[in-house]
Amino acid sequence: MNDIIQLNLIQFSSIYLLLLVVLAVMKRAEIEQSKLLVIASIRMTIQLILAGLVLTYIFDNPHPLWTLLYIFSMIAFAFHRVLSKQPGLNRAFKIGIMISIALSGLLVILYFIGGVIGISVFNPQYTIPIGGMIIGNAMTGVSLGIKTFMTNLASDRNKIDTLLNLGVEPRKILLPYVNQALETALLPTLNSMLSMGIISLPGMMTGQILSGTLPLTAIMYQIAIMVAICTAVCLSVFLSLTFGYQSLYNHRQQIRLP
Amino acid sequence: MPRILIKTESLNFNHMIRYPDLQIQAEKLTFIKGPSGTGKTTLLKLLNATTSPASGTICLNDESIDSIDAVLLRQQLLLCGQTVYLFDSTIRENFAHYYRYRNLAIPDDDTIQKYLTLCLAPFPLDTHCQTLSGGERQRIYIAIFLSFQSDVLMLDEPTSALDETTSRKLFENLKLLMTDTNRTLIVVSHDQRLIETYADAVIDLDAIKEQTQRSVVNTALTQKEA
Repeated sequence: MNDIIQLNLIQFSSIYLLLLVVLAVMKRAEIEQSKLLVIASIRMTIQLILAGLVLTYIFDNPHPLWTLLYIFSMIAFAFHRVLSKQPGLNRAFKIGIMISIALSGLLVILYFIGGVIGISVFNPQYTIPIGGMIIGNAMTGVSLGIKTFMTNLASDRNKIDTLLNLGVEPRKILLPYVNQALETALLPTLNSMLSMGIISLPGMMTGQILSGTLPLTAIMYQIAIMVAICTAVCLSVFLSLTFGYQSLYNHRQQIRLP
Repeated sequence: MPRILIKTESLNFNHMIRYPDLQIQAEKLTFIKGPSGTGKTTLLKLLNATTSPASGTICLNDESIDSIDAVLLRQQLLLCGQTVYLFDSTIRENFAHYYRYRNLAIPDDDTIQKYLTLCLAPFPLDTHCQTLSGGERQRIYIAIFLSFQSDVLMLDEPTSALDETTSRKLFENLKLLMTDTNRTLIVVSHDQRLIETYADAVIDLDAIKEQTQRSVVNTALTQKEA
């Protein structure tokens, strides 16, 4: 196995030329998003350079505190992203989401790094990238789950009112919506497991192979991370919705939708 | 002497609607009328505790409803709301869905048919509800609520999609059934002819509002012997 070819700055910069193709197509199809393309490319570049610098510093000066700080800022960012897509949630619901993402993310990271790989969870080289994948996917899952849940509730307001008036417990009215949202949030992860390895080689595996890891080692890591992601998504969405739906009714059994 | 079932005291919703003190008799048919915005629907929601007043009390049989479990209260004071909701399935399955939500045994075809007939909706039980008209759906909706045989049934604008003949026939049946079984019927409606024919008592929220505005002591509960 060869080690990965280091990119020099000129080689690296030439990849941006491909974006001219995208720009040309956008112009031709009259998609007025060329500004977004430029901003997105610049933001991506700056954010990744920063991440690269921070990671370089942390790898050179490993300290448990840095690893912890990195993981917690990822959780905070994930939480912020979920909420920015769902304003209008009540306080208890928001707190529930934060606890759920943090709890399920940390639990799965701990099991993966400490249990399966069997090294210290403060090892930045493993914990930061793997933690990022787990928390990032949990974020997408929770976002989708909460969105599905709230949209379905809003469009079924009339049904919910009827059932309340009929003397049905709020719990019994809301639980089917919880289950349905959980299913919707899980499907993308399950579907990506179905196509994995046939349609595409996943990102982490590609990266490992490029940097010289044996393919069989790379697939083991890939399988492990997929199982970890699936668990983190399932747990975080389930906990978020379970905390969340109970915040929608009060002791007088009145359902309050935003 | 008629028994007082529901009593309200200085009821205030959202600091926007101030209700005069109301009394509703047991085992009678009481109509609530008044122009829109006077809080007719809100009053029903306050009575079944799906919404709470800013201040004031509601008593059911001299017991504050705050001390009654809200779900049990709603089962006892069943509110058939203004907007019809039926599942996208047959009439029989609609009964089944609602009874399952209440953890009750699903009534047999004869019983379902009996309530449908009472509500002038004698359709085959396999009829898909999507194929029915607004008025037909409204009658099935009422039949479902009626079949739960609650002590009190509250209907919010039950004839909004019905013609006059059907409305009268429906109320004839409803009144007969409810008084026969010593139960209470509370109806929000603005159909003056229905009120004149079938009301045992009328609460006119508009008249009350005007009177309270003129600082007259509330006596607006008009009683009419049936």
